Amino acid sequence: MRVLVTGMGGELGTRVAQRLEERRDVTEIAGCDYVPPRRRLRRSEFRRIDPRDRDKLAAFCEEFAPDAVAHVGIYEPGSRLPPKLAARYTQAATVAALGGAARAGRLERIALRSGINVYGRGRGRPSVPDENAPVAPTTPFGRTLLGVESLAAELGRRHDLPVTALRAATIAGSHMPSPLGRVLRLPAVPVPALADPVFQLVHADDAARAIVGALFTDYNGPLNVVGPGAASVWQAVRLGGRVPVPVAGPFWAVAAQAAELAGAPAPPHVIEVLSKGSAADGTHAVSVLGLAGVRSTHDVCVELYEWATVTPLRPDIDLAEVIRG
Amino acid sequence: MAEVAPLPTFGIDVDRTQSVELVDVGRRRISGRYPIDPFGADPQLQDLLAPVVRLGVPVRVTGAAHLPRRGPALLVSNRGLGFLEPTALSVAVRQSVGRRLRIVGAPELPIVGDLLRKLGSVSAYPSDLGAALRAGHLAALPLGLTWLRTGGGVPPTEMLVAALGYPVLPVLVGPGGPFGLPFGPWRVVIGESLTVGNVGDRDPLAAAELAEAVRGAVHALG
Repeated sequence: MRVLVTGMGGELGTRVAQRLEERRDVTEIAGCDYVPPRRRLRRSEFRRIDPRDRDKLAAFCEEFAPDAVAHVGIYEPGSRLPPKLAARYTQAATVAALGGAARAGRLERIALRSGINVYGRGRGRPSVPDENAPVAPTTPFGRTLLGVESLAAELGRRHDLPVTALRAATIAGSHMPSPLGRVLRLPAVPVPALADPVFQLVHADDAARAIVGALFTDYNGPLNVVGPGAASVWQAVRLGGRVPVPVAGPFWAVAAQAAELAGAPAPPHVIEVLSKGSAADGTHAVSVLGLAGVRSTHDVCVELYEWATVTPLRPDIDLAEVIRG
Repeated sequence: MAEVAPLPTFGIDVDRTQSVELVDVGRRRISGRYPIDPFGADPQLQDLLAPVVRLGVPVRVTGAAHLPRRGPALLVSNRGLGFLEPTALSVAVRQSVGRRLRIVGAPELPIVGDLLRKLGSVSAYPSDLGAALRAGHLAALPLGLTWLRTGGGVPPTEMLVAALGYPVLPVLVGPGGPFGLPFGPWRVVIGESLTVGNVGDRDPLAAAELAEAVRGAVHALG
């Protein structure tokens, strides 16, 4: 099987490529992104392409002529790109990569990274939506994800392909550039003053396993991928030994600005997780994809805080002297 | 049925109750190492408050043998309005089989809604009820807003779609005092289980059939 991995330069894309490299039934792997992969890949071909260069991206995908596409080129706002640019990159990567891959004529299936943000949060919406729940995103990132799902589903209908949309909870991990993770790791974390909403996380490696698993099933439709259990916002702050700063109403905008000044941009979907929570029912994905041993939300949360603190060294320091003690 | 991945419970079973030591509770609260489920339930808090609630709302249970000791099931009770009926039912389940009950119908209100979710309530959406049953919980759903009535109200067909294929038990809850007043132990009568359809069915006709069957069964208990 020839597999194309979009967004291969990200943490998730790199992990997907690594998992594909372990499989003997995957004969060729090609990927693209605007940044290089985060780890060494042994038998994947990587091409550095800016997603906004649609012609180049589409030509690369068409030339590779994949049998399957793992569409991981979904750029979370505040992760590595500012919100507006992230949405443009996502839209461009989806249209050009999926279109180019389909034009080659060999495409058999698509697995794409989406998010439980598509269900929205708040009044009139279930707390733990399953895949049959209505989609009504309440943040720009949720709407972007829904747009990607719609484009891929339309392509699937036209070419009679199964399209699996993996609606993941917030993807986190010690090396995953996650805006929620950055906010939770601040010394003082904004928390809802009058509520204690719960949220779910999924480990980057489990999300990668789900995407690879979806490439080898003929399942057509969405699947929720979440870490079992949940954590409340107040609980997460206690787990990390951080200082909770109660926030309500319009002060969330102030908290978002303060977090950004502190080096942790908090786009609307992150503020939504902190103020209203985020959860979904992931039992269907476990049975369809055979996902055993998915790390719990609590474990992922603990791992976020166990990430070693980086101590900056002065440029004039004598490293040899430091090592000698 | 879907395989459910285990979650850390720190010695507290997600479904069954157990004794909770105050020192242990305090230590876990400070460190943040206590389980919370995706619905917001806090089993440790539930177990801590259970003895107090049991003193405040005593119950007399008939037909406790029908309650499943493990696995998912839906209790459909005659009354839904107020706090006492769901509390009495919750105490009855805890007293009879030592399980935590998930009451369907958490209000979407700040503070109150969050608190009730921590104590085991679930939002009144088919998706939430389905998720609770798939996770193996014992849930309870009122037939309708039946204030001052003993029979079944309007069957919530759209909710029962999520319960197709699972055991559904009719339940009658009422105050045990004279003239239906809440003095003395509450009366909880649990009927025999009935099952309609298969798990995963989304057939509204089967749900309507289940609603009618369970409505009749609840009425028969009175």
